Amino acid sequence: MKHLQVKKLVLLSAIATLVALAMMVVAIVAPRPLLLVLAMSVGQGVGLLSLALYLLAIVLDLQAGGASYEAALESNREAVDDERP
Amino acid sequence: MPIHNTEQLLKAVALVSAVLAAIIILWYLVRRPPLGRLTKSLLLVGLGVFPAVVSLTGNIAGFEYTLSRPFCGSCHVMDPYLRDAQDPKSKSLASIHSHNHRFGENSCYNCHADYQMFGAITTKMNGMRHLFEYVTKYANTGPDGEGGPPIVLYKRHDLEAKRIDEAQFNGQMNGMCMQCHSSRAAIWVEKHEAFAEDVRAMKQLCIDCHNEIHPLALSRRTTAKQEGSK
Repeated sequence: MKHLQVKKLVLLSAIATLVALAMMVVAIVAPRPLLLVLAMSVGQGVGLLSLALYLLAIVLDLQAGGASYEAALESNREAVDDERP
Repeated sequence: MPIHNTEQLLKAVALVSAVLAAIIILWYLVRRPPLGRLTKSLLLVGLGVFPAVVSLTGNIAGFEYTLSRPFCGSCHVMDPYLRDAQDPKSKSLASIHSHNHRFGENSCYNCHADYQMFGAITTKMNGMRHLFEYVTKYANTGPDGEGGPPIVLYKRHDLEAKRIDEAQFNGQMNGMCMQCHSSRAAIWVEKHEAFAEDVRAMKQLCIDCHNEIHPLALSRRTTAKQEGSK
Protein backbone atom coordinates (compact mmCIF):
# COMPACT_ATOMS: atom_id res chain seq x y z
CA MET A 1 0.00 0.00 0.00
CA LYS A 2 2.75 2.43 1.04
CA HIS A 3 4.75 1.39 -2.01
CA LEU A 4 1.94 2.58 -4.29
CA GLN A 5 1.56 5.77 -2.29
CA VAL A 6 5.27 6.53 -2.59
CA LYS A 7 5.27 5.88 -6.34
CA LYS A 8 2.23 8.13 -6.82
CA LEU A 9 3.82 10.91 -4.78
CA VAL A 10 7.06 10.73 -6.78
CA LEU A 11 5.09 10.72 -10.04
CA LEU A 12 3.06 13.75 -8.95
CA SER A 13 6.22 15.52 -7.82
CA ALA A 14 7.96 14.83 -11.16
CA ILE A 15 5.03 16.20 -13.18
CA ALA A 16 4.65 19.26 -10.92
CA THR A 17 8.39 19.99 -11.25
CA LEU A 18 8.12 19.84 -15.04
CA VAL A 19 5.24 22.34 -14.92
CA ALA A 20 7.21 24.64 -12.58
CA LEU A 21 10.33 24.39 -14.79
CA ALA A 22 8.27 25.20 -17.89
CA MET A 23 6.86 28.34 -16.24
CA MET A 24 10.28 29.50 -15.10
CA VAL A 25 11.92 28.81 -18.47
CA VAL A 26 9.20 30.69 -20.37
CA ALA A 27 9.78 33.72 -18.14
CA ILE A 28 13.53 33.52 -18.83
CA VAL A 29 13.13 33.15 -22.60
CA ALA A 30 10.29 35.70 -22.95
CA PRO A 31 10.52 38.01 -19.93
CA ARG A 32 7.15 39.78 -20.13
CA PRO A 33 5.84 41.38 -16.92
CA LEU A 34 2.97 38.94 -16.37
CA LEU A 35 5.09 35.90 -17.18
CA LEU A 36 7.82 37.05 -14.78
CA VAL A 37 5.32 37.56 -11.98
CA LEU A 38 3.74 34.16 -12.68
CA ALA A 39 7.12 32.41 -12.78
CA MET A 40 8.32 34.08 -9.57
CA SER A 41 5.10 33.29 -7.69
CA VAL A 42 3.09 30.36 -9.08
CA GLY A 43 6.06 28.67 -10.79
CA GLN A 44 8.25 28.71 -7.71
CA GLY A 45 5.32 27.78 -5.50
CA VAL A 46 4.62 24.70 -7.60
CA GLY A 47 8.35 23.86 -7.62
CA LEU A 48 8.56 24.11 -3.85
CA LEU A 49 5.42 22.02 -3.43
CA SER A 50 6.77 19.31 -5.73
CA LEU A 51 10.03 19.14 -3.76
CA ALA A 52 8.01 18.85 -0.54
CA LEU A 53 6.00 16.00 -2.11
CA TYR A 54 9.18 14.22 -3.09
CA LEU A 55 10.68 14.58 0.38
CA LEU A 56 7.41 13.30 1.85
CA ALA A 57 7.63 10.30 -0.46
CA ILE A 58 11.19 9.61 0.71
CA VAL A 59 10.17 9.87 4.37
CA LEU A 60 7.25 7.48 3.80
CA ASP A 61 9.57 5.10 1.99
CA LEU A 62 12.12 5.22 4.80
CA GLN A 63 9.37 4.63 7.37
CA ALA A 64 8.42 1.51 5.46
CA GLY A 65 12.07 0.43 5.58
CA GLY A 66 12.71 1.11 1.91
CA ALA A 67 9.74 -1.13 1.09
CA SER A 68 9.14 0.43 -2.29
CA TYR A 69 12.61 -0.57 -3.48
CA GLU A 70 12.23 -4.07 -2.09
CA ALA A 71 8.72 -4.36 -3.57
CA ALA A 72 9.95 -3.14 -6.92
CA LEU A 73 12.82 -5.62 -6.89
CA GLU A 74 10.37 -8.37 -5.92
CA SER A 75 7.98 -7.50 -8.72
CA ASN A 76 10.91 -7.39 -11.18
CA ARG A 77 12.05 -10.83 -9.98
CA GLU A 78 8.53 -12.21 -10.37
CA ALA A 79 8.27 -10.79 -13.87
CA VAL A 80 11.58 -12.44 -14.82
CA ASP A 81 10.43 -15.74 -13.29
CA ASP A 82 7.16 -15.59 -15.23
CA GLU A 83 8.99 -15.11 -18.49
CA ARG A 84 11.14 -18.19 -17.91
CA PRO A 85 9.90 -21.33 -19.70
CA MET B 1 23.21 32.69 -27.28
CA PRO B 2 26.24 34.99 -26.86
CA ILE B 3 27.08 35.87 -23.26
CA HIS B 4 28.09 39.51 -22.74
CA ASN B 5 26.97 40.26 -19.19
CA THR B 6 26.01 38.72 -15.87
CA GLU B 7 22.30 38.64 -16.72
CA GLN B 8 22.96 36.54 -19.84
CA LEU B 9 25.30 34.24 -17.89
CA LEU B 10 22.63 33.69 -15.24
CA LYS B 11 20.04 32.99 -17.91
CA ALA B 12 22.35 30.44 -19.54
CA VAL B 13 22.97 28.72 -16.18
CA ALA B 14 19.21 28.66 -15.52
CA LEU B 15 18.43 27.18 -18.94
CA VAL B 16 21.14 24.51 -18.71
CA SER B 17 19.95 23.55 -15.22
CA ALA B 18 16.35 23.37 -16.45
CA VAL B 19 17.37 21.08 -19.32
CA LEU B 20 19.34 18.79 -16.98
CA ALA B 21 16.44 18.64 -14.52
CA ALA B 22 14.01 17.87 -17.34
CA ILE B 23 16.27 15.07 -18.64
CA ILE B 24 16.37 13.40 -15.22
CA ILE B 25 12.61 13.75 -14.70
CA LEU B 26 11.74 12.49 -18.19
CA TRP B 27 14.14 9.55 -17.71
CA TYR B 28 12.24 8.64 -14.54
CA LEU B 29 8.82 9.10 -16.14
CA VAL B 30 9.71 7.00 -19.20
CA ARG B 31 11.78 4.24 -17.56
CA ARG B 32 10.03 4.14 -14.15
CA PRO B 33 13.03 2.49 -12.44
CA PRO B 34 12.68 1.04 -8.90
CA LEU B 35 13.19 3.66 -6.17
CA GLY B 36 16.66 2.53 -5.14
CA ARG B 37 19.39 4.69 -3.68
CA LEU B 38 20.68 5.81 -7.06
CA THR B 39 17.23 6.69 -8.39
CA LYS B 40 16.37 8.59 -5.22
CA SER B 41 19.63 10.55 -5.39
CA LEU B 42 19.16 11.35 -9.06
CA LEU B 43 15.59 12.46 -8.43
CA LEU B 44 16.72 14.65 -5.55
CA VAL B 45 19.06 16.40 -7.98
CA GLY B 46 16.39 16.57 -10.71
CA LEU B 47 13.51 17.63 -8.46
CA GLY B 48 15.43 19.70 -5.92
CA VAL B 49 18.93 20.87 -6.77
CA PHE B 50 18.58 21.82 -10.46
CA PRO B 51 15.14 23.47 -10.05
CA ALA B 52 16.57 25.45 -7.11
CA VAL B 53 19.40 26.67 -9.37
CA VAL B 54 16.84 27.57 -12.08
CA SER B 55 14.77 29.44 -9.52
CA LEU B 56 17.70 31.35 -8.01
CA THR B 57 19.48 32.31 -11.22
CA GLY B 58 16.17 32.91 -12.99
CA ASN B 59 15.07 35.25 -10.21
CA ILE B 60 18.26 37.28 -10.33
CA ALA B 61 18.26 37.40 -14.14
CA GLY B 62 14.55 38.31 -14.11
CA PHE B 63 15.10 41.03 -11.55
CA GLU B 64 18.01 42.44 -13.56
CA TYR B 65 15.86 42.46 -16.69
CA THR B 66 13.06 44.33 -14.90
CA LEU B 67 15.49 47.23 -14.46
CA SER B 68 16.02 47.62 -18.20
CA ARG B 69 14.32 50.06 -20.56
CA PRO B 70 12.98 47.33 -22.92
CA PHE B 71 11.15 45.76 -19.96
CA CYS B 72 9.46 49.05 -19.06
CA GLY B 73 8.58 49.51 -22.72
CA SER B 74 7.11 46.03 -23.06
CA CYS B 75 3.65 47.38 -22.15
CA HIS B 76 2.32 49.18 -25.23
CA VAL B 77 1.16 52.12 -23.10
CA MET B 78 4.82 53.00 -22.61
CA ASP B 79 5.65 53.00 -26.34
CA PRO B 80 5.63 56.81 -26.74
CA TYR B 81 7.95 57.17 -23.76
CA LEU B 82 10.24 54.48 -25.11
CA ARG B 83 10.37 56.01 -28.59
CA ASP B 84 11.14 59.42 -27.14
CA ALA B 85 13.87 58.04 -24.88
CA GLN B 86 15.47 56.23 -27.82
CA ASP B 87 15.16 59.17 -30.22
CA PRO B 88 18.64 60.65 -30.69
CA LYS B 89 17.10 63.93 -31.94
CA SER B 90 14.87 64.42 -28.94
CA LYS B 91 15.96 67.07 -26.46
CA SER B 92 13.82 65.77 -23.62
CA LEU B 93 15.45 64.97 -20.29
CA ALA B 94 14.41 61.34 -20.74
CA SER B 95 16.21 61.11 -24.07
CA ILE B 96 19.31 62.96 -22.88
CA HIS B 97 19.59 60.62 -19.90
CA SER B 98 19.01 57.53 -22.03
CA HIS B 99 22.03 57.89 -24.26
CA ASN B 100 24.64 57.04 -21.71
CA HIS B 101 25.69 53.41 -21.88
CA ARG B 102 26.05 52.90 -18.12
CA PHE B 103 22.98 54.84 -17.08
CA GLY B 104 20.77 54.90 -20.13
CA GLU B 105 20.06 51.21 -20.58
CA ASN B 106 18.18 51.32 -17.28
CA SER B 107 17.11 54.96 -17.57
CA CYS B 108 13.43 54.37 -16.64
CA TYR B 109 14.38 52.56 -13.46
CA ASN B 110 17.24 54.89 -12.59
CA CYS B 111 14.96 57.94 -12.61
CA HIS B 112 11.70 56.43 -11.35
CA ALA B 113 12.95 53.99 -8.71
CA ASP B 114 12.76 54.82 -5.03
CA TYR B 115 16.28 55.41 -3.86
CA GLN B 116 16.05 54.84 -0.10
CA MET B 117 17.30 51.79 1.81
CA PHE B 118 14.35 49.63 0.77
CA GLY B 119 13.96 51.44 -2.55
CA ALA B 120 14.27 48.31 -4.65
CA ILE B 121 11.47 46.62 -2.69
CA THR B 122 9.07 49.58 -2.72
CA THR B 123 9.79 50.12 -6.41
CA LYS B 124 8.92 46.51 -7.22
CA MET B 125 5.77 46.80 -5.10
CA ASN B 126 4.83 49.84 -7.15
CA GLY B 127 5.64 47.80 -10.24
CA MET B 128 3.02 45.28 -9.16
CA ARG B 129 0.59 48.19 -8.89
CA HIS B 130 1.54 49.23 -12.44
CA LEU B 131 0.90 45.72 -13.67
CA PHE B 132 -2.50 45.65 -11.98
CA GLU B 133 -3.39 49.04 -13.48
CA TYR B 134 -2.22 47.87 -16.89
CA VAL B 135 -4.26 44.66 -16.83
CA THR B 136 -7.40 46.33 -15.49
CA LYS B 137 -7.32 49.65 -17.36
CA TYR B 138 -4.99 49.61 -20.35
CA ALA B 139 -4.76 46.06 -21.69
CA ASN B 140 -7.36 46.61 -24.43
CA THR B 141 -6.50 50.21 -25.31
CA GLY B 142 -5.29 51.29 -28.76
CA PRO B 143 -1.74 52.02 -29.93
CA ASP B 144 0.22 53.95 -27.30
CA GLY B 145 -2.64 53.38 -24.87
CA GLU B 146 -5.07 55.69 -26.70
CA GLY B 147 -8.52 55.47 -25.19
CA GLY B 148 -7.18 54.60 -21.76
CA PRO B 149 -7.09 56.89 -18.74
CA PRO B 150 -4.22 59.40 -18.64
CA ILE B 151 -0.95 58.19 -17.18
CA VAL B 152 0.03 59.91 -13.96
CA LEU B 153 3.38 59.97 -12.23
CA TYR B 154 2.76 57.61 -9.34
CA LYS B 155 4.55 59.73 -6.75
CA ARG B 156 2.47 62.77 -7.71
CA HIS B 157 -0.61 60.58 -7.56
CA ASP B 158 0.43 59.48 -4.05
CA LEU B 159 0.90 63.13 -3.07
CA GLU B 160 -2.54 64.10 -4.38
CA ALA B 161 -4.09 61.12 -2.62
CA LYS B 162 -2.24 62.23 0.58
CA ARG B 163 -0.43 58.90 0.87
CA ILE B 164 2.82 60.84 1.12
CA ASP B 165 3.41 64.44 2.26
CA GLU B 166 5.10 67.19 0.29
CA ALA B 167 8.45 66.74 2.04
CA GLN B 168 8.53 63.06 1.06
CA PHE B 169 7.50 63.89 -2.49
CA ASN B 170 10.12 66.61 -2.84
CA GLY B 171 12.76 64.39 -1.28
CA GLN B 172 11.96 61.63 -3.74
CA MET B 173 11.93 63.93 -6.76
CA ASN B 174 15.16 65.77 -6.01
CA GLY B 175 16.72 62.62 -4.60
CA MET B 176 16.47 60.97 -8.03
CA CYS B 177 18.37 63.81 -9.70
CA MET B 178 20.86 64.26 -6.88
CA GLN B 179 21.99 60.64 -7.04
CA CYS B 180 24.22 61.85 -9.88
CA HIS B 181 23.95 65.65 -9.74
CA SER B 182 25.40 66.18 -6.30
CA SER B 183 24.61 69.91 -6.18
CA ARG B 184 28.15 70.48 -4.92
CA ALA B 185 30.08 70.73 -8.19
CA ALA B 186 31.50 74.19 -8.88
CA ILE B 187 29.73 74.61 -12.23
CA TRP B 188 26.41 73.56 -10.75
CA VAL B 189 26.79 75.92 -7.79
CA GLU B 190 27.68 78.77 -10.16
CA LYS B 191 24.57 78.18 -12.26
CA HIS B 192 22.21 77.54 -9.38
CA GLU B 193 23.64 79.95 -6.83
CA ALA B 194 20.39 81.76 -6.07
CA PHE B 195 18.47 78.67 -5.04
CA ALA B 196 21.16 76.04 -4.38
CA GLU B 197 20.30 75.83 -0.68
CA ASP B 198 16.59 75.47 -1.46
CA VAL B 199 17.33 72.61 -3.87
CA ARG B 200 19.51 70.85 -1.31
CA ALA B 201 16.83 71.37 1.36
CA MET B 202 14.28 69.88 -1.06
CA LYS B 203 12.25 73.09 -1.00
CA GLN B 204 12.84 73.79 -4.69
CA LEU B 205 12.28 70.94 -7.13
CA CYS B 206 14.74 70.32 -9.96
CA ILE B 207 11.82 69.51 -12.25
CA ASP B 208 10.16 72.88 -11.57
CA CYS B 209 12.72 74.34 -13.98
CA HIS B 210 13.96 71.26 -15.85
CA ASN B 211 10.44 70.22 -16.78
CA GLU B 212 10.90 68.91 -20.30
CA ILE B 213 11.05 65.33 -19.11
CA HIS B 214 8.77 63.45 -21.52
CA PRO B 215 7.30 66.31 -23.60
CA LEU B 216 7.31 64.50 -26.94
CA ALA B 217 5.82 61.38 -25.46
CA LEU B 218 3.09 63.31 -23.69
CA SER B 219 2.29 65.39 -26.76
CA ARG B 220 1.46 62.15 -28.57
CA ARG B 221 -1.18 61.43 -25.95
CA THR B 222 -3.73 64.23 -25.99
CA THR B 223 -5.50 63.00 -22.86
CA ALA B 224 -2.28 62.94 -20.90
CA LYS B 225 -1.32 66.43 -22.05
CA GLN B 226 -4.68 67.86 -21.03
CA GLU B 227 -4.25 66.42 -17.60
CA GLY B 228 -0.78 67.97 -17.40
CA SER B 229 0.70 64.88 -15.84
CA LYS B 230 4.40 64.14 -16.00
